[in-house]
This record gives sequence, C-alpha cells and structure tokens, in this order.
Amino acid sequence: MTEAALPLVLRGVSYAFGEGELRRPVLRAVDLEVRPGEIVLLTGPSGSGKTTLLTLIGALRAMQEGSCRVLGQELAGASEAQRVQLRRRIGFIFQQHNLLGFLTARQNVAMALELAPGRGERERLAEAGRMLAAVGLGDRGESMPDQLSGGQRQRVAVARALAGRPGLILADEPTAALDRQSGGEVVRLLRDLARQRGVAILLVTHDPRILDLADRIIAMEDGRVVPAPQADPVRTG
Amino acid sequence: MNALTRPAPAFGPAPDLEPALLPWAPERMGEAPPPAPAGAPARRRFGPVEALWLPLRLAWRQLRFEKARLASAIAGVMFACVLVFMQLGFRAALFESATALLSAMRADIFLMHPMTIVSFKPEPLPRLRASQALALPEVAAAVPVYLTQATWRNPATGVRRAMQLVGFDTEAGVMDIPGLAPLTEALKRPDTMAFDIRSRPEFGPVARLLGERGPFEVQLGHRMMEVVGLIEIGPSFGADGNVVMSELNFRRVVKERLPSQVDLVAIKLHPGADRDAAMARLRAILPPDVMVLSQPQLVQHERSYWETATPIGFIFMFGSLMGLVVGMVIVYQILFSDIASHLREYATLKAMGYSNLYLGKVVLGAALLLAVLGFVPGFAISVLLYDVVGKGTFLPLGMDAARGFGVFGMIFGMCGLAGLLAMRKLRDANPADMF
Ligand SMILES: Nc1ncnc2c1ncn2[C@@H]1O[C@H](COP(=O)(O)OP(=O)(O)O)[C@@H](O)[C@H]1O
Ligand SMILES: [Mg+2]
Repeated sequence: MTEAALPLVLRGVSYAFGEGELRRPVLRAVDLEVRPGEIVLLTGPSGSGKTTLLTLIGALRAMQEGSCRVLGQELAGASEAQRVQLRRRIGFIFQQHNLLGFLTARQNVAMALELAPGRGERERLAEAGRMLAAVGLGDRGESMPDQLSGGQRQRVAVARALAGRPGLILADEPTAALDRQSGGEVVRLLRDLARQRGVAILLVTHDPRILDLADRIIAMEDGRVVPAPQADPVRTG
Repeated sequence: MNALTRPAPAFGPAPDLEPALLPWAPERMGEAPPPAPAGAPARRRFGPVEALWLPLRLAWRQLRFEKARLASAIAGVMFACVLVFMQLGFRAALFESATALLSAMRADIFLMHPMTIVSFKPEPLPRLRASQALALPEVAAAVPVYLTQATWRNPATGVRRAMQLVGFDTEAGVMDIPGLAPLTEALKRPDTMAFDIRSRPEFGPVARLLGERGPFEVQLGHRMMEVVGLIEIGPSFGADGNVVMSELNFRRVVKERLPSQVDLVAIKLHPGADRDAAMARLRAILPPDVMVLSQPQLVQHERSYWETATPIGFIFMFGSLMGLVVGMVIVYQILFSDIASHLREYATLKAMGYSNLYLGKVVLGAALLLAVLGFVPGFAISVLLYDVVGKGTFLPLGMDAARGFGVFGMIFGMCGLAGLLAMRKLRDANPADMF
C-alpha cells in the first residue's frame, strides 16, 4: 500500500511553543504512520507532547516544521479553511465529553451531521438515533447531558464522533474522567464501532487497562517517538 | 464535506468518481475513491435558507435553555425599545404641537417679516403689503393677520392665564381654521370670539359651559368677550390656548396695537392659479421686508426654529441614543457571558469543523433574535404608553408605521452591533487548547 493511501503519515514533525528566548521544543522530528482501520495507542509521560501531536494531526494547530498528511490532506502550509474542512472528516473524542449542555443527546449527535448538506432534519435525527442505539443509548436520545452519567455522556461523545463518518478518530485520554468500568466500556465500544466501519483510531492514554485494545502501541518521551515496551510485534509492520 | 468525499473505511475498490473533488480528496492522490453510500446526496452546498436557519436554530436553542438570562436580555432590549419610542414620540409631539397654531391656519400663501423667527414673537410688517399683493392678477384676496397674547380669566375659577389671540378678517374666506366656517356669522358681532377646544384645561370648562348655557362672557385682557363657538388648533410651546376673533374685535381687546402693523398676511389665489409661480412673482414685486411662504413652508419655518435654535431636538436625540447604548451594553453583556461560559462548547464545535463564520452567525443570530423578541413587547408597551401619556399631557403622541419601522431598525442595529462585538470573544474558543 502506498503512503498516500494511509490515513495518517507524519514525517519529521517538530513543534515548539514560545518565541526566542522562551522557545521550548515540544515535538522533535516525529515520524508516524497509521494504516487504514488500525488502532494505535499513544502513551508516554505527562508533558511528553502527546496532546500537542494530536492537536497538530487534528488540524487544530498550524504546523511549524515537517510534513503531516491526514486523509490525503497535507497540513504543512494548509490554510485555515482547509483545516476547517479537514476537521469535518476527523472524529474527535475529548477527555471531557464536551457535549452542548442545551441540546439533547440526539441533537448533540446530529450536530456532527449538520455540517454536511443534502440531508433533511428528519434524516439527520434518524441517523443520530441509530448512532445512539449503536452506543447502547437508543432510549436516552431525548435526555439532556446533565441527566446522563459520565460514562453515558462519553458514549454520546463517541456516537457524535462517529456520526459524521470520519476517516480517522483521534481521542485524548477518553477514559481519564471515567471510573474503571465505564472507561473500559467506552473504549471497547469505540474500538468495536471503528472496526465495523474500518476507521483508524489514534488514542492517547495513560490507562494500562486498555492497552490490550491496540493493534499497536507507540510511546513518546520528551517530544520523540520511542520504541514502546509492550508493542505487539504481530500486528505492526 | 464528509458527505462529499466520505473518507473510505478501507480505501477499497470503489465505484465511479464523484465529480468536483476537493483538492485533498483521496481520489486526487491517485487512490481509489471511497465507496459512495447508497443514495449519496447530489447537493454539495447548503441552500441559503438552511445556511441561515441552522445557526439561527442553534442560537435559539441556546438562548431558550437559560430562561433567566433570556428574560433579562429581552427586558434589556424592551427597555431600550420603549425608551427610544418615548423619546422619539415626545420629540415629534413637541415639534408638532410647537407648530399647532400655524398648522391650523389654512391659506394659499403667507407673507411674514423675514426677521420673525417664531410665531409668538412676530416682527410686524406694514399692512400696506397686503394691498400691494393684490396688484398681482392671480391674487383674489389678501388679509392681514394679527397675533398677540392676552390674559384669559378662567370662567370657573377666576384664575388668569396667557392666551394666544388670532385676529383676522374671518368673513373674507381667505384663511380657514378647523371649525371656523360655521362661526363666521356669529363672529361678526362685537366682542365675540371662538375658543380653541384643544386648549389646556386650565382655561376652564369652556366647551361644557358653552353646551350648557350657550354663548357666555369671559374676561380677555381688560374686556368682557363672548365665547360663541369652538375651533380646533391645539396648544403649542408659545401658548397653552388659542382664541380666534375678527380683526375688529381684536383691535377692541388689544387697543395699543397699531392697525398698520400686522404679523402675517394671508393670501388667497384665484382658483386654478399656479401657487409657485404666484409666489415667485410676489417675491419680485414686494420689498425685501417680507418673506413669501406657502403654508407648509410657514410650518417648516417655525419647526426649524424649535429643531435648531433650541436644545429640544438634541435632548431627545441624546435620550434615544442613551437608550440604544444601554440596550446594546445589556445585549453585549448577555451574549458575551453566554460565549464565555460556553467556550468549551464553542471550541468543540470548531474542532468538529464548524467555521468561525458559522459560529459568528450563531452569535449574530442570537443578537437578532433578542432584537425581535424585545421589540415586539417593547412596541406594544410603547403604543400603550403613547395613549396613557398622550392623554395626560395633551401632547399629540401617536405611533406611525415609519417610526415603528425606524425604531425596529435601530434596535436591530443595536443588537447586531452588540453581536458583532461579542463575536470577538469567539476567538478565545481555541480548539487547540481543548484536549
Ligand atoms: N499552549 C501551550 N503553550 C505553551 N506550552 C505548552 C502549551 N501546551 C502544552 N505546552 C507544553 O508542551 C509540553 C507538552 O505538552 P502536551 O502536549 O500537553 O503533553 P502531554 O499531552 O503528553 O502531557 C508540556 O511541557 C506543556 O507544558
Ligand atoms: Mg495531554
């Protein structure tokens, strides 16, 4: 498979915060590839630059150095408009659920569908309802976020991230705010749904309990990708 | 956009290429395109209705969610709306009433001394000008008009108060005043006058007394005069009440007045004569101590005095502006705190691919919704207040469509500006800081 067909290819990505004297490199020549449908876990100590890397890939930050190709879009030198377009093809899952408090669960999921024209309101709500059913919340569509438990909210966030049929899912410590059991449920759900749809996932986590989900584990240290001790040799390469 | 290219689950072999691919579409990268889902939409852009409707609906859902905040925002807009309506209403009413006397005088052409800046302080002009005007063939008649003030004794309480007197040849039919026509015969009698029914009530229950006992005597200046009927003029800045009488009776009340010094000359043209041409010819033949004015010009002359030579216009403009500023600050505060307390949500929307433009539309949509929601009750309250206050102050307060639309435009602009200012806060919703 050629490189251009990969959902994610990073070559020599470096990033630094601050200017001049205060300039602090956070990423140093990161190379990374994610294959179609692959589930990659990114671990590493706090402050090693994982979140920064994810925000670059997610087109939330302008690139500084290197090449980052996401779903065929080169992000180095991409315009704001191009980055906004790309974000619509990426599913984000945040540490906090970040649902809109004034919308029902179903309306929250439908927000991911309102970015694309061509569907009527009824179709969007029906699709949102199907996504909620897929995360086991078919009966909670009309609940407001504050009526749901933490795990349920994060499941709504998973449904929202997948509703727009993204080509890549980025998740930053999605279980950090959840207890052990519901955290495990949420990531397993995410993995199963992504597998069904063949969507690749890049997931940052500290949580050792979910390392077994991964096709491949990579680790970061001080802005560099380092060989991960628990990486599964069978599924890589 | 994802409906457009539908990033491939597995980049597998796929059917026909969709036209108009984006530059970064996988197809452009020399790869097989993703399988188009069954019934893939043919449309690529939102229709104009949907492009406005969706952000507006999001704005409404957000506004609706916090009832207390919505209520205070609506109250703020409503307050501004009522304030502006009242200020503009008072302004218009005062200008209208300021010119009530001249507006009531109906004649084709008027002559006035150029140094007369306001009708209650007239600069006299020679009576001779009336006869000179008759030299023009199209002039049918010209009558002098005398204006002055004298004290009127309230027939019920005996309290004296300044009254505006208008004296002219009421039989000549040159100048008309609403209600005057049926009284011309009665006004021929010595010491008679017609009373302005819209004079302030401090002059006494004249209409009622007239109805009960018929014509009765009232002291005007140093003379007893008989009220024989009612006309309709309305109080103005210079005078709280008006009486109209024949030239002869005027001279009886105001003895010190030289008949050769008149305050206005009213001119009647022959039927079918061209007024503007006649005015031009009058200007040509009359000496420069007269100004030739049509009736609307006469009213406008008076009005411009009140508008420009007094702070009245400024006061009400200032009041309206303050109302708009206060309203804008309230709306801005509400929108700003709405964004500030939902920064995470806005940043999430940006991370999902919502553009700044879209979110700007949401904020502006909220502002304009507040404009409509505040204007409707504000308008209703203002109509009510016009009625109540107008009755209490005898000012001609009334709602008209032009003012309604004008104030709606101002409120709309006010909220729009507040929205545009609040929109800057959206920049703080930075999705890079979200993870
Ligand atoms: N917006 C920022 N401005 C300046 N420094 C930042 C910013 N965000 C992160 N950093 C710094 O960059 C380093 C990497 O942070 P981050 O990518 O969040 O690491 P991780 O997610 O692995 O904990 C940290 O030292 C952090 O202090
Ligand atoms: Mg982090």
